[in-house]
Amino acid sequence: MATLALAGCGGGSDSEGGGGDKPAASDDVCKTADGDGPKIGLAYDVGGRGDQSFNDSAYAGMEKAVSDFDATCIEGEATDGEAESAREDRLRNMAESGATAIVGVGFAYSESVNAVAPDFPEVNFAVIDGFDPDDTANDNVAYLGFAEEQGSFLVGVAAAEKSQSGTIGFVGGVNNELIQKFEAGYTAGAKAAKPDIKVEVQYIQESDLSGFGDPAGGKAAATGEFDKGADVVYHAAGGSGSGVFDAAVEAGEGNWAIGVDSDQYLTATAEQKPFILTSMLKRVDTATYNFAKSIDEGKPLVSYTVYDLKQDGVGYSSANESAITDLTTSIDEYKAKIISGEITVPTKP
Amino acid sequence: MSATTATTGRKRTIVERLTTSWLYIGLIGIGVVSFVRIITDTDDLTGAGTIRAAIIATCPILAAALGGLWAERAGVVNIGLEGQMILGTWGAAFFTYHYGPWVGILGAALLGLIGGLLHAVATVTFGVDHIVSGVAINLIGAGAATYLAEAIFPDYEGGGPRQLNGLEAPAQITIPGVSDLANSIADRHWFVVSDIASVVQALTTNISTLSLLIFALVIVSALVLWRTSFGLRLRSCGENPQAAETLGINVYLYKYVAVLVSGALAGIGGGFLALVASSGFSNGQTGGRGYIGLAAMIFGNWRPGGLLAGALTFGYTDSLRLRDTQSVHSLLLLVAIGLLAFAAWRAYKRQVTGALVVAGAGVLVMAWFLLTDSVPREFTVMTPYVTTMFVLALGSQRLRMPAADGKPYRRGSAG
Repeated sequence: MATLALAGCGGGSDSEGGGGDKPAASDDVCKTADGDGPKIGLAYDVGGRGDQSFNDSAYAGMEKAVSDFDATCIEGEATDGEAESAREDRLRNMAESGATAIVGVGFAYSESVNAVAPDFPEVNFAVIDGFDPDDTANDNVAYLGFAEEQGSFLVGVAAAEKSQSGTIGFVGGVNNELIQKFEAGYTAGAKAAKPDIKVEVQYIQESDLSGFGDPAGGKAAATGEFDKGADVVYHAAGGSGSGVFDAAVEAGEGNWAIGVDSDQYLTATAEQKPFILTSMLKRVDTATYNFAKSIDEGKPLVSYTVYDLKQDGVGYSSANESAITDLTTSIDEYKAKIISGEITVPTKP
Repeated sequence: MSATTATTGRKRTIVERLTTSWLYIGLIGIGVVSFVRIITDTDDLTGAGTIRAAIIATCPILAAALGGLWAERAGVVNIGLEGQMILGTWGAAFFTYHYGPWVGILGAALLGLIGGLLHAVATVTFGVDHIVSGVAINLIGAGAATYLAEAIFPDYEGGGPRQLNGLEAPAQITIPGVSDLANSIADRHWFVVSDIASVVQALTTNISTLSLLIFALVIVSALVLWRTSFGLRLRSCGENPQAAETLGINVYLYKYVAVLVSGALAGIGGGFLALVASSGFSNGQTGGRGYIGLAAMIFGNWRPGGLLAGALTFGYTDSLRLRDTQSVHSLLLLVAIGLLAFAAWRAYKRQVTGALVVAGAGVLVMAWFLLTDSVPREFTVMTPYVTTMFVLALGSQRLRMPAADGKPYRRGSAG
């Protein structure tokens, strides 16, 4: 698990020992792999390789699949604001150039996979965070979802127990259903650990996806929460998150930030590191790897699969050891309770 | 009889002098804000934290708006501000990484200037439509920054193909005694006094030197454009380039200078985003602030004071809604009072229809405030846009752009 978490941040310079002497793109396994295993297409979302988060995590899973199953892969990347048809073309191109399985990284591929999949019945598709947009089920598409609320619950417990002030904060990138899952789980976890805790909630944008790429907005929102007495702030705001970390640094010692998706302690700057309490891990790498594995075994995944705590599909990081050690016992107790079903985590705030 | 007209005339000048004086308007404004703060019990409305966030949110928009002012005063519409700003974020990151923050700011200005140069070559030398060139600059700016980041930043410490974090920020200034005193007064929550103290506190505690520089650039721009012969010539190129040409002014040169300065200012705005508003470059971090700067400049009536008011209103309301969604509700009362006051002013000026329309809007907003407890979330994100539009649209009734703004000019066309 630790090695996977490390690989999950392939773009980070100091995590791969080499001190960042090689650009992330040049050691791309998809360019060098020549095994005779399955040929898998990876269609990235906006951001692509090197986002130190979602897309890199998918790549890390693929990297492992390449070494384990002699798989080969082809990559494509979405550009900001591109048309739906561009996504479809990308998927078609991959299918026509011989990919036997294609992974769309990100919910934005749901529609295009739905349109393309029926034309290529021999090819297996997977959409991470995806959903079937219509009523006709596709029998060659797997929707790989995550129980983000469960992971968020755990970091909510961590936040509440770490907090001295009795107030904690949440910064969401965009106020949509997906991010509300994070908020709901986080609040529930905090209240479970400390029933009288106060949770300040801010979203950077209501529907405009630019909320995921606005560090200045993330910093302003988080600073507002620190000013109101919060001493731990959790973000689910993608690229805006680095602004949230900056806000914690500015708020000074005794204030904390919690990362999201990948273990952000590993990719944060030296200045930010001491302030990152933990990160809610979303194991896109596990999902991608398992999908590749199912292809290799000839029993491709179809329909909905939810990666939750039980399968280690979500979790929390303990990379910042000195900050989190005191809390892990308590967090792991809640984790066990969620896995056993004793606690059901809400998905709506 | 003549005596009475003289007195009414004198009365009128006194009233006008009172109301047009910025100082008094500012004081009355703070009084109203303070009143609203106490009535609605929203201390965040003028908290030092809010003011500080507002200053940070204002600066990049202000720099872009200033850039727009320079270009448009010389007759070149520069909607490439956004692209030049994006180039500035990259330049700031690259140069700060190697040579520290001050060279970084110069680098931001340099990259923005290159964007401005492209625009100047296209519009001034080749007479390309200003909008077409501007759109192209925006696309090129975004593409070039993405490409350059991907090519260069992954090798850097703290860098990746889409970001470069952990950059050193320009120095911050704190004036110890004043800062503490202001802090203690601000915490009392007194009427008006504490609000002013909050502003003083924000201005004297950890304020970035780059913020101060950008505000200083507004004054410098105003002085250069309106108080020097260079500025007069530059503006004449935006009003009537043919006439300027007959007076021996090298219109192309002035337009070039204006657009280059414009790009550099937008670049500095981008640099602010990468160095002060956050601590690093990240792809797409400008998020349309260049366009907002352009809009603030237009609604600010192509004047330094107007664009400053626009950028401040936008920055203030944007940080307010980002920090506390609830405080947006208190803002409604503020807007209602503002509208009613403006209606009264128009009534005094005997503009009956105008007064009625504004008063109607004021009553509606007031009713909205009184009948609800909070503003729907969907609306809060629009707050900065709506408020800025309101304030500036009401504030400047007669927008007058430079007469030859955006019009093609060829040398020798004066005949």
